[in-house]
Amino acid sequence: MSARRHHPLYRALLRLAPAPLRDTHANEMEALFAERLDEARRIGPSAVARTWMHGASDVLHARAASWARRGTPLTIAIEERNALMVGSDFRYALRSLGRQKSATALVICMLSLGIAANVAVFSLVNGLFLRPFPFAHPDRLVYINETAPKWNLEIVGINYPDFVRWREQQKLFESIALYSTDSFNLSDANGAERVRGAQVTWEFPRVLGVQPILGRCFTADEDKPKGPPVVVIGEALWKERFAGDRNVVGKTLRLDGASRTIVGVVPSTASFPDDVRLWVPMAGDPNQPYQSYGADGIGRLKPGVTAGDADKDLQRSHQSIWDKSDRDHTVSPFVKPLREQFVRDYRTAASTVTGAVAMLLLIACANVAAVMLARALARRKEMGIRLALGSSRLRLMQQLLIENLVLAAIGGVIGLVAGQWATGALVRMIPDELPRWAAFQIDARVMVFSLAVVVFTVLLFGWAPALHAVGGDVRSAVHATNGSTGAPRGRRTLWFLVAGEFALAAMLLVCGTLLIKAFDRVRHVDPGFRADHVLTFSVPISEATRPRQEQWVAFWDQLLERTRAVPGVDAAGLITCPPLGCHWGNFYDVDGAIPSPDGKDPVVLTRVASAGYFEAMGLRLRSGRFLQEADGRDKNPPVVIVNESFVRTFWGANASGVGRRIKFRGKDAKWMTVVGVVGDVKHYGLERPMRPGLYFPLPAIPRSTLTMAVHTTVDPQSIAATMREMVRQLDPELPVFGVRTMEESLRRSLALRAAFSWMLAVFAFLAFVLAIGGAYGVATYLVTQRTREIGIRVALGARTEDILKNVAGRGLSVVGAGVACGIIGSLGVARLLADALFGVSPADVTVLAFVTAVLVGTALMANGLPARRAARIDPMRSLRTE
Amino acid sequence: MADAALKASHFYILLALSVEDRHGLAIARDVQALSDGRVRLWPATLYGSLEELRDRRWIEELSEHPADESERRRYYRLTRAGRHALAAEAEHMSHVARLARSRVRPRSGEAR
Repeated sequence: MSARRHHPLYRALLRLAPAPLRDTHANEMEALFAERLDEARRIGPSAVARTWMHGASDVLHARAASWARRGTPLTIAIEERNALMVGSDFRYALRSLGRQKSATALVICMLSLGIAANVAVFSLVNGLFLRPFPFAHPDRLVYINETAPKWNLEIVGINYPDFVRWREQQKLFESIALYSTDSFNLSDANGAERVRGAQVTWEFPRVLGVQPILGRCFTADEDKPKGPPVVVIGEALWKERFAGDRNVVGKTLRLDGASRTIVGVVPSTASFPDDVRLWVPMAGDPNQPYQSYGADGIGRLKPGVTAGDADKDLQRSHQSIWDKSDRDHTVSPFVKPLREQFVRDYRTAASTVTGAVAMLLLIACANVAAVMLARALARRKEMGIRLALGSSRLRLMQQLLIENLVLAAIGGVIGLVAGQWATGALVRMIPDELPRWAAFQIDARVMVFSLAVVVFTVLLFGWAPALHAVGGDVRSAVHATNGSTGAPRGRRTLWFLVAGEFALAAMLLVCGTLLIKAFDRVRHVDPGFRADHVLTFSVPISEATRPRQEQWVAFWDQLLERTRAVPGVDAAGLITCPPLGCHWGNFYDVDGAIPSPDGKDPVVLTRVASAGYFEAMGLRLRSGRFLQEADGRDKNPPVVIVNESFVRTFWGANASGVGRRIKFRGKDAKWMTVVGVVGDVKHYGLERPMRPGLYFPLPAIPRSTLTMAVHTTVDPQSIAATMREMVRQLDPELPVFGVRTMEESLRRSLALRAAFSWMLAVFAFLAFVLAIGGAYGVATYLVTQRTREIGIRVALGARTEDILKNVAGRGLSVVGAGVACGIIGSLGVARLLADALFGVSPADVTVLAFVTAVLVGTALMANGLPARRAARIDPMRSLRTE
Repeated sequence: MADAALKASHFYILLALSVEDRHGLAIARDVQALSDGRVRLWPATLYGSLEELRDRRWIEELSEHPADESERRRYYRLTRAGRHALAAEAEHMSHVARLARSRVRPRSGEAR
């Protein structure tokens, strides 16, 4: 065992030991402790921890015992002798803080609160924005996609032939790859399950830098049309389905009714971007015409290449496609850093909440500064005496700062622990809204951040008390009595702190209230469908067992028939994409379309629905009729239902849609007649605009995976089990997935905004409480200081109102000034939030008036109560206070 | 100093020094051995106790260090007063033990 005779940590600990002991025996004490540590190391880490606990409590015990022997009030001269010893300052700080238990507890509470809020928010920001992706050289990973402003699509999805062209032409990427998340029916003897997976081009694992645990990843030959049926499974699936069997490579997996050979197992870190459990080759064919847009791309840059350079490189690679088939540059590729793509939804929320907690910390610091300053003013006499006895001002300042450091350190530790807890609670509150790759554990960055916050708070709340305590001249300080007013400069600083707190609290309250108002407005947006009593669930037909489309239609008819027969169900229908679900866009020739003013060719949200869907989802019929059973069947004329946006976009605001015609683009496409116009639904979320959309009858364009919408007269959750059983009886190989009510879907779509708004509201409320507490504390302190003066005034015949006016007036004018500054400031700050306010004006008058009224009203109480108490004191008693 | 009972740490230190003169580390080791590992003297307690015992003049620091040990270690010797105090404490303890045995009846089957 290595015997380290000098352990720096223990040496630091020894600074707490009584000086005589330390001076004489430090070396031997270290040697003994080192021996104990060696002994403990042989036993294990918990023994080492116990040894440290013993060592610390041993030293502290000796410390306490020596205090007990000495008695509390030390003579100042002895303290001064140890002048420059920080250790004695710590002792002094602990003792002086211990004497004022309630003030110390209050200060620690406020600091912990401020620090905890900052740690919690920083952990979230760290997980989302700062922590590197769990891949090699994550800074070289980029996201690739295509954009088409003309189609009203910011992100179109990548077209496979475009990708193949880029792959040939690009020069600045080590490699690029496509992925497209998908889900599969995974079935075996035990039943069917829907698992999330991805179709990827063979370079995908290479781009991410993922090494398989077992076997290998795909080869280029496997990623070709009619390539061998292979699959790579993720660690999670490997453990669940195969119990971590190391001979799994070569076994088969039944996916969508067909067998695939497992060629490799990859670690869970490869599960990008979301909960992906297995991978199959994309096996695209670049020569097939009219391929859809839809895949996502990732690339690994060569070292030293920036995303901007890569973007230009891709544009250059795309040039030949533009020249050949897209002279208008309708679709163009873009490259951006990987993280930027995945955190864009969180950006506003994160920066706002970070700003909010920073303000909260400032308020907490101001409050602490006020408490410490009040204490310092009360201790002016003590400080004066020490100055008179020859103590240097620097010494006294050092001592006060160490007192602050002790407070901040305690607050920091509590804050760190509470902050970690709060992070966990937050993450649990919105698990679906946070990306899977983000991890929120404590790491070095969080630790450094917390330390920085602590140092910052020390400096921020330490300056005022330290300056005031040692400023001023010795004589007046020595003569100061408790009954007289504090130094005017000190009082001014106190009021300044209160005004600052109110300004910050006003800003936070305005922002919080605005966001809550916006949230309320979003919540009350008409979704265009009926959310209550609607259950949705999805069923995927396996194309391997039912290869023909007629079989699909027959299956869906049967499923609908059985569903409608379930007691409690009064309407049921099928749809490709339910509201708040997916997107499938298409382009049509529209008969009699007015030319788009800005030359745009907007994409049309295309859905396929069965009869009964509109009734089940509670859509509104504007004119014509809904789809009926006969639509799309046999030789019936082709029909289509469009939404209001469609009519408005293509035929004009006041046009009627029924009877007009549209058709797919292409030479031999047939015209279809619009038979009904339905109201828009908020398909992309309550805050998002709706696109033109249409519904085809299911039998005309059969689909193999559909979502059933069921309207019930009973609690929709109560029939979920019945529905699962019904599908199982029809075909035991088919899984049922995505079972949820429309109310739940709505709630999920709002979860991020809800979390964001409520977080800010909570922080604003805490800020409010802190500010009011601060104002009350300062007012009480100042009134106490003036007890004698007030007594004289009362004795001389002043009335209660006069005293009230005199005492509370000052406080109110300070608060008024603070609130006014805050409101003006909030006009600027709230503008930064404009994107998140959903049309609520950043200068919303009711919100501003509400915040002003609340702050001034409560400040009136905070100042009035102590003033009234003072005015009622019997002058005989107050005059005797000394 | 006629304290009713000696602190356990003091008692063990005196006991350790009753055999031979030792330095602090050796005292700690010996105490651990004497007590079958039940009593461990931690640094501040040990050296704090040594200071207190020296103040009571029950032990004294050796002015000359044995040559083979490193210089910085302080060696302690039991004084006559210390030996006396140890003996008195042992007497006191055996008295207390007798008293306890007479009150707490041993369980049946257990040897007296």
